[in-house]
Amino acid sequence: MRKYHLVRRADARLKRTLIYYAIGILVSLIIGAIILVALGINPLDYYGRMFTIGLVGNRYGYKSIEGLLKIFVPLLITSLALSLSFKMRFWNIGGEGEFLIGAIAASIVAFNSTGMPNFVTVLLMCLAAMISSGIIGIAVAALKVKFNTNETLMTLMINYIMLYVIRYIGETKADWNFFLRDDSERPKFGTFPDSAVMAGIPIGQFKLLWSVLIALALTAIVFVYLKYTKQGYEISVVGDSSATAKYAGMSVGKIVLRTMFISSAMIGLAAALAVSSAGTISDTITNNVGWTGIIVAWLSKLSVPAVFVTSVLISILQYGCQAAATQYPAIDSNYADLLQGIILFSVLVADFAANFKIVRKEDAKNA
Amino acid sequence: MLDVFTLFLFNIIVYNIPLLYGTTGEIMIEKSGSLNLGVEGTMAIGAVVGYLAGAKTDSLFVACVVSFIASGLVGLLFSFLTVTLQANQNVTGLTITTFGVAFYYFIGNALSNSASGWPKLSGTRLDVQSQAFEIPLLSKIPFFGKALFSHGILVYLGVIIAILMWLYFKKTVPGLKLRAIGENPGAADSLGVNVALYKYTHIIIGSGIMGLGGLYMGLNMGGTFEGSNCWINGYGWISIALVIFANWSPAKALLGTLVFGFFNTLRVQNAALAYTFPDTLGWLTKIPSHFFSALPFIITLIVLITSSLSSKNKSGEPQAIGRNYYREDR
Repeated sequence: MRKYHLVRRADARLKRTLIYYAIGILVSLIIGAIILVALGINPLDYYGRMFTIGLVGNRYGYKSIEGLLKIFVPLLITSLALSLSFKMRFWNIGGEGEFLIGAIAASIVAFNSTGMPNFVTVLLMCLAAMISSGIIGIAVAALKVKFNTNETLMTLMINYIMLYVIRYIGETKADWNFFLRDDSERPKFGTFPDSAVMAGIPIGQFKLLWSVLIALALTAIVFVYLKYTKQGYEISVVGDSSATAKYAGMSVGKIVLRTMFISSAMIGLAAALAVSSAGTISDTITNNVGWTGIIVAWLSKLSVPAVFVTSVLISILQYGCQAAATQYPAIDSNYADLLQGIILFSVLVADFAANFKIVRKEDAKNA
Repeated sequence: MLDVFTLFLFNIIVYNIPLLYGTTGEIMIEKSGSLNLGVEGTMAIGAVVGYLAGAKTDSLFVACVVSFIASGLVGLLFSFLTVTLQANQNVTGLTITTFGVAFYYFIGNALSNSASGWPKLSGTRLDVQSQAFEIPLLSKIPFFGKALFSHGILVYLGVIIAILMWLYFKKTVPGLKLRAIGENPGAADSLGVNVALYKYTHIIIGSGIMGLGGLYMGLNMGGTFEGSNCWINGYGWISIALVIFANWSPAKALLGTLVFGFFNTLRVQNAALAYTFPDTLGWLTKIPSHFFSALPFIITLIVLITSSLSSKNKSGEPQAIGRNYYREDR
């Protein structure tokens, strides 16, 4: 017989979890440092540049902050949206596809908005994106609720179908295709008219885009929604056990549909804000937030404040890698992905250590 | 005219055998009740590590063994995290993909920028060993012979693996036990099947098989590393789709590879076909290539939905797929 077995810890103490997570991240950074040393790079200098995202000794430091925020806003909103559906144990891994649908819908509005007031255009872009992404979310949820179709695989397929849709739009010269530039021989996405470009509040040279404020407000709203409203409570009950929810008289199907609509619509919103901030669309507009968002949501254990902190950290990691590449051209953005993977692996181990303990069989009997 | 069709069939096989490796590997893993979304990353790691080892030792055999071991280690990581540590399978799999593809680019870029450079394939013994050869007699069969029996050794290996796996599931006791775990790990456990051991073994072997598919892709692309294009190029994801299309059967995976491969090849060769048969196939050029690229995913989505609509449950989908097995929750 096996001598040891696993026991789930009865008390999940926050302090212990945080300490284990910190150790996990530290170990990942050390592994990352070893890789850097192997390539003949001073890891302290590299990490220094990465974590200061090129702010130190840079006259145009505000540009770094703007660049960081452009990565941060879509990632934060997408991660929040995904944690909503994950809380319900609904494996929406279609973040990429939902984002692209939103981006395309918002761009349709944007390219046809010449002469409209900026505020109205951006609002319409957000609405168009939220509705189109939301509809896809509802469709997936309906199939899951009604026929128990595997939602993980469904959303996965949608990601790739949408990727080829946007590539088709971006690579096809045709009369109907208002997405492309008129003055270019080769197919190339056009830039939005000024009416569709995200405005902001100038602070000195730095421009604080409205999208950042919207993202912050949304974080607060989702936090309150999950913690203090009936609907938020219903989500967590369905996630814990849909049987319990049913016995308690909740209509599980309705809750799943509603939450998936909100979740997908939020990803659509993230897309609308992203294209509007970028002033254009491209097939890499998602910046992989659909995938990274899953990792962020999971690293944060689906808690809203933790999603916020993790999004900041991952954005620094990604943008910092780009910033450090000016000094170390040998290391590109793949290093950020590599490190991100190592961090998640370590944190999964840390999470296990924080939640389980290994007990000897005899001790367990005596206890 | 015949030549065009023979070439078409030949290309279906040459360019899409990696799908068969990816799919059979993933079927083996999913049959144990685990959903591994890390196919793309596992293949990438197997490809780059296997290729480098093969180039170093100048031997296809070493390349295959190392590729299998490297991907097997990725499988070990996946099993350790999901089986022993109870981590979420979707998240772990996706991270393996992010990590694996980044690993591929990172190693590739680092070597390309180094003094010795990225090892070249052309002219080496590794290249000769992976070349296509004609099987005597069989390859002389008109029409089909050239298309089916003049390939590199890894093409046949892929087919053999698929057939062996089909026999393994259908005819052997461990295969039966494995399927039982995928359906209901609790019941299998109570009958004395070592669930964790079975999951570990099959996830590792399945991942190793994927790695061979990755290695094949690398060799098929002439072993050249491009900084912007991964060798695997989304085939890992198509493999996951193909598992569903093949209804979790290695034998149907063979057929499915041909079907998905048909569309894949149509995308590449639609111009040639339209040129050869302007009257009957001229319309092919009007269909955008993106449609053919998206077709495997569209078909899979339809299969996924329609199979769940039918009341009779003939789906080969393991019932416990995606859920971790933790004894004390039983």
